[in-house]
Amino acid sequence: MNNAIQVQDLTKYYGDLLAVDHINFTVHQGEVFGFLGPNGAGKTTTQRMLTTLLEPTEGRIVIRGHDLARDPVPVKRQMGLVPEESNVYTELTAWENLMFTARLYLVPRDERAARAREFLETFGLWKKRDVKVENFSKGMRRRLSIAMAIIHKPTLLFLDEPTPGLDAQSARAIRDLIRRLNAGGTTVFLTTHQIEEANQLCDRVAIIDHGQIAAIDTPERLKEAFRRVQSVEVALEPDGAAHGEPLAALPGVTTKVKMGDKWRLYTDDPSALLPLVMNYAQSQGLRVVSLNTLSPSLEDVFLEITGQQVGAVRHKTQEGKPRRRGRRGQMGGGR
Amino acid sequence: MKDNGWLQRLQDELAQAWTVTVKDMKAYYLRPGMIMFGFLMPFFMFFSFSVKREMAAAQGVARLLALTTFFTAAAAGPFIIPLERRLGTYDRLLAAPMSLLTLLLGKTAVGAFFAIGVSALALVVGVGIFGASVAQPWLLVAGILLGSFSFSALGLIFGSIPTRNPGDVQMPSTLLRWGLLFISGVFVPLAEMGAIARAVAYVSPLTYAQDLMNHAVLGGGLLSPWLNLGVLLVSGVLFLVPSVKMHQRSRRLGY
Repeated sequence: MNNAIQVQDLTKYYGDLLAVDHINFTVHQGEVFGFLGPNGAGKTTTQRMLTTLLEPTEGRIVIRGHDLARDPVPVKRQMGLVPEESNVYTELTAWENLMFTARLYLVPRDERAARAREFLETFGLWKKRDVKVENFSKGMRRRLSIAMAIIHKPTLLFLDEPTPGLDAQSARAIRDLIRRLNAGGTTVFLTTHQIEEANQLCDRVAIIDHGQIAAIDTPERLKEAFRRVQSVEVALEPDGAAHGEPLAALPGVTTKVKMGDKWRLYTDDPSALLPLVMNYAQSQGLRVVSLNTLSPSLEDVFLEITGQQVGAVRHKTQEGKPRRRGRRGQMGGGR
Repeated sequence: MKDNGWLQRLQDELAQAWTVTVKDMKAYYLRPGMIMFGFLMPFFMFFSFSVKREMAAAQGVARLLALTTFFTAAAAGPFIIPLERRLGTYDRLLAAPMSLLTLLLGKTAVGAFFAIGVSALALVVGVGIFGASVAQPWLLVAGILLGSFSFSALGLIFGSIPTRNPGDVQMPSTLLRWGLLFISGVFVPLAEMGAIARAVAYVSPLTYAQDLMNHAVLGGGLLSPWLNLGVLLVSGVLFLVPSVKMHQRSRRLGY
């Protein structure tokens, strides 16, 4: 299989702070590759190095067989970039923004207008094409930002947190677009901390934590590798909330998490736990409202890998001392 | 990936530089910061130091042209680039398939064209309203063109400082511009300066722009017009070097 991106020993220091620590991975052509990690793990730093916005301290990036450090210009023609913040020109209209980008990426003159129209229609912005972008909503700016990133029909598209802050409709439209672009052959590098989004979209995901790649695989294989975070979810009545401690004390339960009116009991053997839960309910005179076994979600895997307690506050950045130059392996946050 | 020949590449890069220039002209020429620092400031300076002083119309026009060329051209870089860095739009330009030099040339042209426009307005006012005449029109055109590009490149150095805060850039750039203004023979003619002051004046590229305007409008200056043109040309090219270096530093630092 051809590689769209090959990363070797990629490292970034900010001063003496180690943000990305000798990471290696490949992205195959035609796949949607998710790059997951908690805030400060090194996701955006890595993406900025891949898109030439940031110079690596060490390491090599090869994109479609071309060394990015040698002559980035031909490689950049194949790339589209949607940064975390919609970096559109608010003083210009939507049409002017698109035409500017088309010219900048040397889209042939006779195709510019047709493509601009196509994308404005696709993103529901055609009627607003002559409106200055300063009057656009956040969702509209996001859509325009994506249209600007793909007007030159890149074969490799980088998206940094494309959906946070958007309403459900806009977020779904963007996910659908990513699928369509990928179906058309575009390789997508998706940086996100929205785990469910990665689960839905990505062929493979890499989890980066403290500047190091903690895992790379398909979402399903990652879940398979973390069978120990299977769980049994039970709702009991009356007063089910009061039974957390005794349920957690049942043999085989590693962690308990309250999920609304239910208790989720993590275990590596749900089938053994089920009868124990039933026996407990019977002995206490409780009614079992619902009882389910759950496979590990990608979020469970993520939390397990990044060392955050399953069921704790989601996406909380780990606290710890920053890693310093020459002291690899300590805890810390990147940038 | 198609590797274009160098001629095609050059053509592409020039087209991209022009695209950046046109975009900036549309987006920023009417912004308050540009109008204040690029348009109003040179006129304020001129009137502050010229009103109620005995001065021929032609002498005033020569001074005003040097001021507009210098102040207006040098205003664009320190205003636009930090603003774009803050808004994230500068990343769009840095990620585009063009060389850093192409981007900087495009940005240089933004300030230069603004200065050419404002200088043309100053010239129209000077000739049309105050009845000044131009002794050597070709020298005037060459001086405004070269001066505008050179001083715009000077402003770009400040715009290239690795920061996202325009305020961090405005302070040192304004200090330098004001400093140069008072040592460059704009308000005190070069011929009237002492030896030390004149030696200092020769360090400033604005000295050569003012002397060139004196040649063009008044018909004579202290230095050779060819020397003036040469200094403006060379300084314009040299001013790009620190901008390139600072952009490379920004890329290392992550700005």
